[in-house]
Amino acid sequence: MRWATRRHCHVDRAGCAWLIQRFLDPEPEFVFVDDPDEVPADATPFDMRGAELSHHGGDCSFETFLRQYELADPVLWEIAKIVHEADLANERYDAPEAPGLDVLLRGLSMIRDDEELLALSGPLFDGLYEYRKRALLLGREPA
Amino acid sequence: MLLAYRLPREPSTPRSALWRKLRRLGTGQVGDGLTALPLDARNREQLEWLAEEVAQAGGEASIWLGELASAAQERELASKMAELVAADYRTLIADAEAAREEPPGPRRRTLSRLRRELRRIRARDFFPPPERQLAQAAVEELVALVEEPVG
Repeated sequence: MRWATRRHCHVDRAGCAWLIQRFLDPEPEFVFVDDPDEVPADATPFDMRGAELSHHGGDCSFETFLRQYELADPVLWEIAKIVHEADLANERYDAPEAPGLDVLLRGLSMIRDDEELLALSGPLFDGLYEYRKRALLLGREPA
Repeated sequence: MLLAYRLPREPSTPRSALWRKLRRLGTGQVGDGLTALPLDARNREQLEWLAEEVAQAGGEASIWLGELASAAQERELASKMAELVAADYRTLIADAEAAREEPPGPRRRTLSRLRRELRRIRARDFFPPPERQLAQAAVEELVALVEEPVG
């Protein structure tokens, strides 16, 4: 399937792309555009103005994906809180990881193009998922 | 970069939510329904989402990329924005000074609150006023007090 989002990905788009690849579409093709008008007809847009899979009612796009696709995995909701705070920093959640994730991804976006960024951020989110999963199972921070 | 927006008077919830968000981003109000931020990737994205929220709340919003024709007016806008964050820094400095008299437990909690607050203010501080250094120093003084060994 083809998916379209805005160029110069930051944390929410990187998180959504990871979510798509790991949970929705194992072989996604991502298209990066400057303007909503440039989205190809056969692509599903996300994290852009006017798209269904975008910010809604105070949710970031990652949270919207979880709701739309009914992904009830509690570990994904833990990651959603981190992505929300890294993206919006409005203190809806307590997510101390968020400022760190924001800086890491923003820094990566300064030195890599979007394809490379997603190739690097994917394993980062895999690790975050594993960590949060163990934390949830253990009931404390794993090591 | 400018956000031009118009929201219905009623209901008032989206209006006050928008106002709070603009305040957190540190925008400089240029006129009624027109507010400005320095252009960078983060600010642009945040303003675009706000524009979307305004539209979803039944209002109208557009983003403009522009510059002031007059350098004097540009300085004026920048100093107006700097004065807003300077006031926030001054509140923080007063809180940090008051915390010196607190017992160690509450003082430690005040310190972590003030550190978070300092981070929040710095995120919207695009034209740093002198108070920035003073606020930083006030928090560091409190750190030294908190770290002092008891007895």
